[in-house]
Amino acid sequence: MNIQFSGVSKIFEPDIAALVDISINIQQGEFVYVIGQTGSGKSTLLRLITREILPTRGVVAVGGYDLGRMRKADIPYYRRDVGLVAQDFKLIPTLTVYENIAFVMEAMSVPKRLVSQRTKDVINQVGLWRRRSMRPAQLSGGEQQRVAIARALANSPSLFIADEPTGNLDFYTAAEVMKILFAINAAGVTVVMSTHNQGIVNSSRQRVIELESGRLVRDEKGGLYTE
Amino acid sequence: MTALRYVLRDTWRLIVHHWVLGLLTLITAGVMLWVLGVTTLLSLNMENLLSRLESELAVQAYMVRDNTINAEEVARKIQALDGVHSIKTYSPSESLSKLQQKMGSQSRALEMLGDNPIPWNFEIHVNSASDVEPLVEALKSMPEIDDVVYAGLVVKRISALSRISSRIALVMFVLAVIITALVVYNTIHISLYSRREEIGIMYLVGATKAYIATPFVLEGTLLAFLGALIAGGGIIGAYFPGIELIRENLPLLTNIIITDRAVIWRFCGLLAGFGATLGWVCSYLVVTRFINSITRPE
Repeated sequence: MNIQFSGVSKIFEPDIAALVDISINIQQGEFVYVIGQTGSGKSTLLRLITREILPTRGVVAVGGYDLGRMRKADIPYYRRDVGLVAQDFKLIPTLTVYENIAFVMEAMSVPKRLVSQRTKDVINQVGLWRRRSMRPAQLSGGEQQRVAIARALANSPSLFIADEPTGNLDFYTAAEVMKILFAINAAGVTVVMSTHNQGIVNSSRQRVIELESGRLVRDEKGGLYTE
Repeated sequence: MTALRYVLRDTWRLIVHHWVLGLLTLITAGVMLWVLGVTTLLSLNMENLLSRLESELAVQAYMVRDNTINAEEVARKIQALDGVHSIKTYSPSESLSKLQQKMGSQSRALEMLGDNPIPWNFEIHVNSASDVEPLVEALKSMPEIDDVVYAGLVVKRISALSRISSRIALVMFVLAVIITALVVYNTIHISLYSRREEIGIMYLVGATKAYIATPFVLEGTLLAFLGALIAGGGIIGAYFPGIELIRENLPLLTNIIITDRAVIWRFCGLLAGFGATLGWVCSYLVVTRFINSITRPE
């Protein structure tokens, strides 16, 4: 799924410019790091892609669809094709690991047998099968992050959005999470990930989009964290 | 079918998760719907009583003594007046024999009057007590009518009682509906509020608003429906023994109040349907409003 930002600005009330005149084009199957200091607009950019927020100016188009003009009824169907991993995991505290992943498919009325099979597959993929009956509060930060990744994978999305997925993780756990993200990308899924982690960006040399005070200051293929 | 199974499971989870609140809602809805049901039944019985009294209310109109006036024609004119339900015409001889029958052994006193003093007259039954006064005015203004006799005070009291009883029933009905609606609305709102984060996450990962909303709407509908069933049970439990008590102590009243058990069962069925509808409407309103507010993009 390709992503196109054309002259996109986002201004929050009263007058805070989170993004200013951003134009980027991300092709299907790319792996893109979005970097920048805290408050530079990374999360805003990702939230525009998931249509949690709408641009004040410009057009955000994903898979050829202008998200600003998307019908309300179509939003859930669009989001089923977008895997989202948030920095705060966004897991449902009252549900177990298994239920947190299964409900994404249940919401699509997938038959129970298929839900069971797919949930088992994605939990195994992130190596948490033995933790399937636990609730998020009983898991470590890294494990919760892996549950969020498994949930995002459940619907086999074409686009994977990860907002600082390694932000709260130690080096080894972060490396495990990155291994999963690279595997997802290798299967042809577009991955857009925001991060502060220099080591990760510098070791994998993917496309880097750098933001500063809401402005695009660098868009470099095979880039490092700093120029 | 699959979606229905998931929705029913989530509804059950909601009820179990907030069981204390649910129980309180159930009790409050039950009590309020019981009050509503009892008030409506009392009002229906009162209507029954009043309509029985009203059906027995009659206005007697006496025609002027004039052989050129046709009594049947006058009767037709009266029939055309507002509020007239039925009219009976009595000739002077019919009226006299009626009077003689009523007086029994004292009827010989009538012979002392010589010629029959009773003119052609009409016994007029009205639709409701409130129709009597205007009808009497209309009759008095007719040149063919000499005199009008009716139970003025009784008519006024029945009419006033009928108005008061209808108003009390309406006020109780409105109060019970408002309180039940508010309780269901608040319960579902609290239920939604405690799961607002979850709702946001569900919407973000692709659940439709209908999928998110349905368990909450079902929860509200179910609570109000169960409350109405409890109320219906309470009404049946109180009304049927009440009828037996009246049958034993005041048998005359059994002809006036509703004693048909099938009618009471049907009434309770209607109450349950009303409760479910009320619960559905309140839950739907609060859920739609809440979900729209938290899923609206900035």
